[in-house]
Amino acid sequence: MIKITATAESPEQARALLDVGADTLYVGGHPFGLRLPRALGLDEIKEITLLAHRQGKKVNVAVNGLLHNEQVEQLPDYLQRLAEINADAVTMGDPGAILTLQELDLDLPYIYDAGTLVTSAEQIAFWIDHGAIGAVAARELTLSELKEMQSKLNQPVEVLVYGPTCIHQSGRPLVTNYYRYAGMSERTDKDRGLYLRDPKNPDSQYPIFEDEEGTHIFSQDLSLMPVLQDLYDNGLHTWKLDGVLLHGEAFVQIVRLFAEAREALEAGNFVPAALCNRLQSIQPQSRSLGTGFYLKDPKDIN
Amino acid sequence: MRKIVDKPEVLAPAGNLEKLKMAIRYGADAVYIGGQAYGLRSRAGNFTEDEMREGVDFAHTRGAKVYVAANMVTHEGDAAGAGRFFKTLRDIGIDAVIISDPALITTCFISAPGLPIHLSTQASATNYKTLEFWKKVGLERVVLAREVGIEEIREMRRHTDIEIEAFIHGAMCIAYSGRCTLSNHMVNRDANRGGCAQSCRWKYDLFEIDGNSARSLIPEDAEPFSMSAVDLSMLHHIPDMIEAGVNSLKIEGRMKSIHYVSTVSNVYRKVVDAYCVDPDHFVFDPAWEEEIWKVAQRDLSTGFYYGVPTEKEQLFGKPRKIPKYTFAAQVLSYDPETKIATLQQRNNFGLGEEVEFYGPGFVRFKQTVRDLWNENGEPIDRAPNPMMTVTMTVDHPVEPYYLMRKK
Repeated sequence: MIKITATAESPEQARALLDVGADTLYVGGHPFGLRLPRALGLDEIKEITLLAHRQGKKVNVAVNGLLHNEQVEQLPDYLQRLAEINADAVTMGDPGAILTLQELDLDLPYIYDAGTLVTSAEQIAFWIDHGAIGAVAARELTLSELKEMQSKLNQPVEVLVYGPTCIHQSGRPLVTNYYRYAGMSERTDKDRGLYLRDPKNPDSQYPIFEDEEGTHIFSQDLSLMPVLQDLYDNGLHTWKLDGVLLHGEAFVQIVRLFAEAREALEAGNFVPAALCNRLQSIQPQSRSLGTGFYLKDPKDIN
Repeated sequence: MRKIVDKPEVLAPAGNLEKLKMAIRYGADAVYIGGQAYGLRSRAGNFTEDEMREGVDFAHTRGAKVYVAANMVTHEGDAAGAGRFFKTLRDIGIDAVIISDPALITTCFISAPGLPIHLSTQASATNYKTLEFWKKVGLERVVLAREVGIEEIREMRRHTDIEIEAFIHGAMCIAYSGRCTLSNHMVNRDANRGGCAQSCRWKYDLFEIDGNSARSLIPEDAEPFSMSAVDLSMLHHIPDMIEAGVNSLKIEGRMKSIHYVSTVSNVYRKVVDAYCVDPDHFVFDPAWEEEIWKVAQRDLSTGFYYGVPTEKEQLFGKPRKIPKYTFAAQVLSYDPETKIATLQQRNNFGLGEEVEFYGPGFVRFKQTVRDLWNENGEPIDRAPNPMMTVTMTVDHPVEPYYLMRKK
């Protein structure tokens, strides 16, 4: 009943993710998909889709960018190709992309994903009216809000249970601009491993990188392992694990832990402590784990 | 001679009733305000129903429009009462509501049919297909994302006839509006529900992790990392905006002062009129720019309209020194016989100071304060008390609602 969606960065990793229990692989590439572990071409997406379908599993493709005219021009061709390779769904947050998809009338549904803007059941209902088969919840919601949202909807609301969460997207190359100002020559890409710290909060550590879509800033890595029982009990059964900043085998092992947690939950014998400890041992030591907004009281956020 | 009859609207912010009236007197075709709920400026002055009624009355008498921003991104429970709110706005005669949240859009359609809806910039409309989508849904207008270029607007106009509103002046989000939750994560304030703490304007360390310890990348003599943007000004490019097909030219700043709102409205009114009356012989008057700098708070740039902003469009280090002008008084009346103006004081000023009067229609002149009397007709050296009534001689005629500023 619990569905695990995990990002996949390559056909090799996809195979491993399917083996450890991922139900849906999440992939994509430029210029339509945002913040993926690796930008994949259609050939790789096709290969991953074949792998997944062979095991009766699914592939969703990220078309979640804020699209400009130029991208909109190229979109119909991309969507058609995705339909041809039998991708199971796309994620979309741009109404222009959604309209394009509807006009093409393909056998390719979409899941509404507009990042920070998906915060109520009524919003999601609007997009369901416009064809969405589900939605990805904003990371800024508390457990009580998510619970209420899901209880009002028949379609699944996807919840991030592991990974960093994007808290800022700028169209500007903010790191490059700083380098130019400071006379530095340095890389700005995702694998460079750059972070911001707010001096007023010495423990803060916000990953930052640039790509073709601009600058992206993330929060602390999230892990809901300690509270999966609450998610499960409240009908939040669509889990996303995001490996945007964690490559290779480490991410696969983390997905494996969540798959184990799922089995335990469904068997009624979930005990988080051991799984949390194992997760801690795989998680890069320099990046601590937190529960984001999930355990906060909505009243404390104003 | 070519002439543009269908002039674009100059749309000004109004944080309160006084600013609303001033913006309209100074040339705004429309103003946008906040109601007491569902907006994004919880700290800006927001209008009560009675104030809205008075504002609408004032605006409609002068052929101007009033829009209400209800651009919050609602969470569960936040939208309660929104239907009644929209119905009230419609009944008051509000000309449109500015919304980004589809839940509120649905509510507005159901509860207040006939009340036009504008899509807020918070929804980041960046392509013509998105404009088509919102037109099909039934929206009347889309406020574009600030990341859209002028060529992109031209192309949008070729594809769709929905009204396009675009920012021409003011502070800018450094992020795609609505796609930034720095405040949420840093200080538990929801940026999309009115709590933005402007975290992008803070200073940060930029570092890498070497083994297990952090190593700062900030050079020794450099300013810390920051994301702060300079402000937008399309003052020199209004013809481009008009020719691209923009229907509404939006000035940012519901938190800004009367001095700011009146000055900026006045300037853009003048530029739009000057261009539309004879576009082929339009000449830019440097006085317009001089005027804009009197209320500028940061350096100015053209944002994304002509390319992706570089480091020059961001604020690093010490900000440029901009001469600061203060709003000193408002004209209450004028006697042409005696050339004496009656003023309401707004900031301390006194004898010997050089001040400047300005009025709607881009009237302005400098004046030395040669004499000054209080309410009882007694000569005084200075006007120290807030809102006190004083009189002084002026060399050129003034009218009620002319404003006086000083350096």
